[in-house]
Amino acid sequence: MAWWHRMKMLWRNLARKREVSADLDEEIRAYQAMLEDEHLQAGADLATARRLALLETGGAQQIKEEVSDIRLGVTLETVASELRQSLRGLRRNPSLTLLAILMLALGMGASITVFSIFQAALLQPMPFREPDRLVELWETRLARNIDRSSFSLANFWDVHDRNHSFEELAAYRYDNANLTGVGEPQKVSASSVSTGFLRTLGVAPVLGRDFVDDDVRGGSESSVALLGNAFWKQQFNGDANVIGRTLRLGDRAYTVVGVLPRSHVWLNDQIYIPFGSGPNMNRGSWEFSVIGRLAKGVSLEAASIDLEQIAASLDQEYPQDNKGMGFLLGSANEWVARTNTRLALWVLLGAVGLLMLIACLNVANLLLARGTARHREIAIRAALGADRTRLTRFVMMESLLLSALGALLGLGIAFLSLRAMQTLQIQGLSRLDDASLNPWVLGAAVFIALMTGLLAGLAPAVHVPNGAITGFIRDGERQTGGRGANRLRAALVTGEVALSFVLLVGAGLLIRSFTELVNVNHGFQSENRMLFSVNMPSSYWQDDSGKQFIDRLLGQLEALPDTLAVGSISHRPVEGGNPGMSIATHATTADAAASHWAGWRITSPGYFRAIGLPLLRGRLINDQDLSVWRPRDKATPARHVVISAALAALLFPNEDAVGKQVVLWKGQSNLNAEVVGVVGNNHERGLADNPALTVYIPYGPGALTSEFVIHTRGNPSGLAPIIRSMVAGLDPRLPVADLRSFDDIVHRSVSPQRLNASLLGVFSGMALILAMIGIYGVLSYSMSHRTAEIGLRVALGASRSSILRTTVVQGMRPALPGILLGAIAAWWLSQAFANLLFGIKPFDPLTYAAVTVLLSLTALAACYLPARRAMRIDPAVALRAE
Amino acid sequence: MKQPKPSATALLQGTLDVLILKALALEGLHGLGISRRIEQISGGAFQVKPGSLFPALHRMEEAGWLSASWGESENNRRAKFYQLTPAGRRQLQDETEQWTRISSAMAQALETS
Repeated sequence: MAWWHRMKMLWRNLARKREVSADLDEEIRAYQAMLEDEHLQAGADLATARRLALLETGGAQQIKEEVSDIRLGVTLETVASELRQSLRGLRRNPSLTLLAILMLALGMGASITVFSIFQAALLQPMPFREPDRLVELWETRLARNIDRSSFSLANFWDVHDRNHSFEELAAYRYDNANLTGVGEPQKVSASSVSTGFLRTLGVAPVLGRDFVDDDVRGGSESSVALLGNAFWKQQFNGDANVIGRTLRLGDRAYTVVGVLPRSHVWLNDQIYIPFGSGPNMNRGSWEFSVIGRLAKGVSLEAASIDLEQIAASLDQEYPQDNKGMGFLLGSANEWVARTNTRLALWVLLGAVGLLMLIACLNVANLLLARGTARHREIAIRAALGADRTRLTRFVMMESLLLSALGALLGLGIAFLSLRAMQTLQIQGLSRLDDASLNPWVLGAAVFIALMTGLLAGLAPAVHVPNGAITGFIRDGERQTGGRGANRLRAALVTGEVALSFVLLVGAGLLIRSFTELVNVNHGFQSENRMLFSVNMPSSYWQDDSGKQFIDRLLGQLEALPDTLAVGSISHRPVEGGNPGMSIATHATTADAAASHWAGWRITSPGYFRAIGLPLLRGRLINDQDLSVWRPRDKATPARHVVISAALAALLFPNEDAVGKQVVLWKGQSNLNAEVVGVVGNNHERGLADNPALTVYIPYGPGALTSEFVIHTRGNPSGLAPIIRSMVAGLDPRLPVADLRSFDDIVHRSVSPQRLNASLLGVFSGMALILAMIGIYGVLSYSMSHRTAEIGLRVALGASRSSILRTTVVQGMRPALPGILLGAIAAWWLSQAFANLLFGIKPFDPLTYAAVTVLLSLTALAACYLPARRAMRIDPAVALRAE
Repeated sequence: MKQPKPSATALLQGTLDVLILKALALEGLHGLGISRRIEQISGGAFQVKPGSLFPALHRMEEAGWLSASWGESENNRRAKFYQLTPAGRRQLQDETEQWTRISSAMAQALETS
C-alpha cells in the first residue's frame, strides 16, 4: 500500500499546506531549543547558548526550503503557483493579453479549420474494409502516349479471370437512367458494376443482399438493382419494404434486392446495376473503370509484375485491339482527392502554418517587449533566489498560458467556420462533410498550441538576464531594455515580414492564376444561355424516334419569342464527359504513329451558333449531313464532320483542312470521313484544360444528343417551367435534368480554384495585419524610450522632417531584409505548386512586384503613428520628464 | 544548492538514510536525538547537520518508512518523535544486508594486492 501512503502524503502536502509548514516550523524551533538546553547544561550562559544553537542549526528558512524541495508534489505546487503568477501578470496587462490571445486565436482558428479539412480528405481512412489493399487499375498504350485509360469490357474480364494477385477485381461504368413510376420521372445516376463490386470494396448492404453471379448468368442483362443509401432515404423514406419492389429505369424493369450503407464519398450513386461476363464482349472501346483488392500479402510491385505478364499474353492473343498494351496500378488514396486536390490541400496547410508562425512571432515580440519592461521584476526575483530555470519556466508559462487560451478560442472559431462552410455547401472541397473536430484534430490543436507556446516563449526566455542582476536593478525606471533584446525584436519583425511575403506571394499567384483562368478566352459564349439534359431512353436509339424527338424539341425551343439560337450536343461542355478516339489523316492510314487522340461530340447543326462557336473555314454541319454510324445494310454515303481549329492545325499543318479525308476511330472501326468545316477552339473540357482537339459529328438516328442549349435575348432563367412542360408534352416519361445557366456551370467548374485563391487571400490578409502590428509594436516601443533623445535633438534644432526620416528609417530597417528574404523563400517554395497555376509561371514578376509594394506600404503605414508622435514631441516636456 | 558540500564528515550518498533507520532501530527519537545517536554509533565519525537531517526525515516519512508524532522530550520540551514503521524495518534490513555485502566486497577488493 505504498502508493496509498504516498497519495495521502501528497494530499496532506497540497491541501493542508499551512499546517504542514507550521508543523515544520515548530519542529525546527524545538530542535533549536534542545540544542540550547545542551549548551546550557554544558555550562554556557543563556546568551552564548542561544547564539551557538542558532549557529549550529543554520538558517531555519533555508532548512524549510530544503525540506519543501523534497516534498511530494513540490513540482505540481510550483507550477500551480507560477501559473497563478502568470495569470495575475496577464490580468495586469489586459490590452496586451487580449491582443496576443486574439492573434493566436485567429491563427489557431485558421490552422485547425484547414487541418480538419485536410485530415478528412487525406488522412481519414475510407469507409471500406482494409482500404490500404484497395487499388485502381488502368490500361496503358505507352507507345501511343496513353499512360492511363479505362478498360475495355473484354480485357477486364480477362484480367479478372487470369490474375493471381487480387482477392477480387471489379469494373464499373458511370451511367444515368430515367426513373419512372416513382413520383415525377427523374434522371438518376445508375452505374453499371460487375457483380464483385461491393465485395471488392468490402461493403455489405445494410438491407437485402449483395449481387450474386446468378443475377447476370451467361451475360444476360440484369434485372436486379441495389439502391444507394441517400437515394433510398430520400425517395423511399428509408422504407425497409423497398426490397422486392420493381423500378422502371428507361425501358426496363429492375427488382430492388438491397440497400447500400451510408457513405459520404465515392459510393454515392443512386442506383447500382450489375453486369457479368459473356460471349462477344467489346475489346476496343475503353469504358470501364477498374478497382481491385490485393490479396493478403501481395505487394503493389508483385501485382504489377503479374499484370505485365497478362498484358503480354493479351497483346499476343488480340493484337488488333491490344497492341502495345500494359497496365497501371495506383493506390486508392487518389479516389477521394486527385493529385491537384492533394497539392492544393498541402498548400493551404502550409499557408496556415505560415500564418500560425507569424502570429507566434508577433506574440513573442509582445512578450519580449514586456519582458524588457519587466526586467526589474525579474531581477528582483533573481535576487530573491529564483534560479535561472525557474525564471525561464516563469516566462515560458506565460506564453503557454496565452497559447492555451488562444487555442481554446481558436477551436471555437474553427468549429464555427467549419459549420459555416458545411452549411453553405462550399464547392471545391472533397469530403468537407466529414471534417469535424475529432480527436485527431483536437490532438493536433493541442500540439499546435504547445509548439506555439514554446516557440513564442523562446525568445523572451532566452532573454532572461543571467548575470548582471544588479545592473538591471540600478537601471531602475528607465527600462531601456538591452540592445540585445531590441535586436532580437527587430529580427522577429524581419522574420514576420519574410513569412508574410511568402504567404502573400502564394495568395497573389493563386489569385492571378484564377483571374487568368476565368478570363481565358473560353472560345464559347456563356451569357444568356441555358443548358439542360434529357436522357434518351434506349428505345429512342433503335429507330428514328430519338432524332424526331430532338428535332421537335429544338423546333419548339426555337419558336419561343426570345430565342436567338438552339442546339444540342452529346456531352455537356465544361462539366460533361470527354469521350475520345484515335484520328489520322487519310494518307497515313498505315502509319500507326501518325494517329492522334481527339475528343468527339455529336451535335445538331444549331449547336455551334447556340454557344457562339465561330466558323473559321468551310461550312457547319447541316440537316443533310448524316450520322457517321448507319446500319450495315444501307449504302454508306459520304460522312461529313467539323473539326476544331487546333485539331485542323495538328492534322493538316499549313494546309486547308476543309475537303480533306480523315480516319475516325483509327485502329478500331476505321471510319472514313470528310472534313467540311473548321470551327474555333474552345475550352469545352474545362477552363483549365487545353483548348480541345475535337471532332463534331452530325447527329442522326442512332447518334443522339442529350444536352440542349438555348440562347435567349435576355436572362433565360425564367424558362425552366416552360422547358419542363415542353419536354413533358413531347414524352411524359422523360425527366429534364441539370437545368442550369451556362454561366453558372462555368462558375462552378472553377470553384476549387476560387476557393483556394480566396482562402489564401484571407490568410495572407490576416498575415498582413499581423505584420503591421509587429512593425508598429517594435517601432512605437523603441520610440517611446527615445522621447528624451528626440526632445534633445529638437531642442538642438533638428527639423521635423529629419525626425520623421530617422523614425521611418528605423521602422523600415527590419522590414526591408524581410522582404528580400521573403522573396527568396517564396521563389523557392512556389516552384512546388506550379501545377496549381494556370497561365502564369511561379515566378510571376507582377505578383512579386505587387507584394513588395504592398508590404512596403504596410510597413510605412505601421510607421505612421509612431512617427507622428515623435514629430510632436515638445522638447521642454520631454527633457523635463527625464 | 541541493548538493551537500563535501567535507570530512560528508556522508556517502545514500548512507544517511540507513544511518537514520539504524538510529531509530531501538526506540523512537526526536531530530536532535537522532543526530546524537548517529554520532554515537558511528564513533563520532558522522555529524548530521539539520540542513540534511530534516529533508531526509521528511522524505523518509513520505516514503512510509518513518512515522512521526509529537511528544515530550527528556527535559520536558515538546518535540517531534520519529519511529520506524514495519516498512522502515524491512528497509533497514534490506539496506543492512546490502551494505554488508558491499563493505565486505570492498574490503576484499582492497586487501588483495
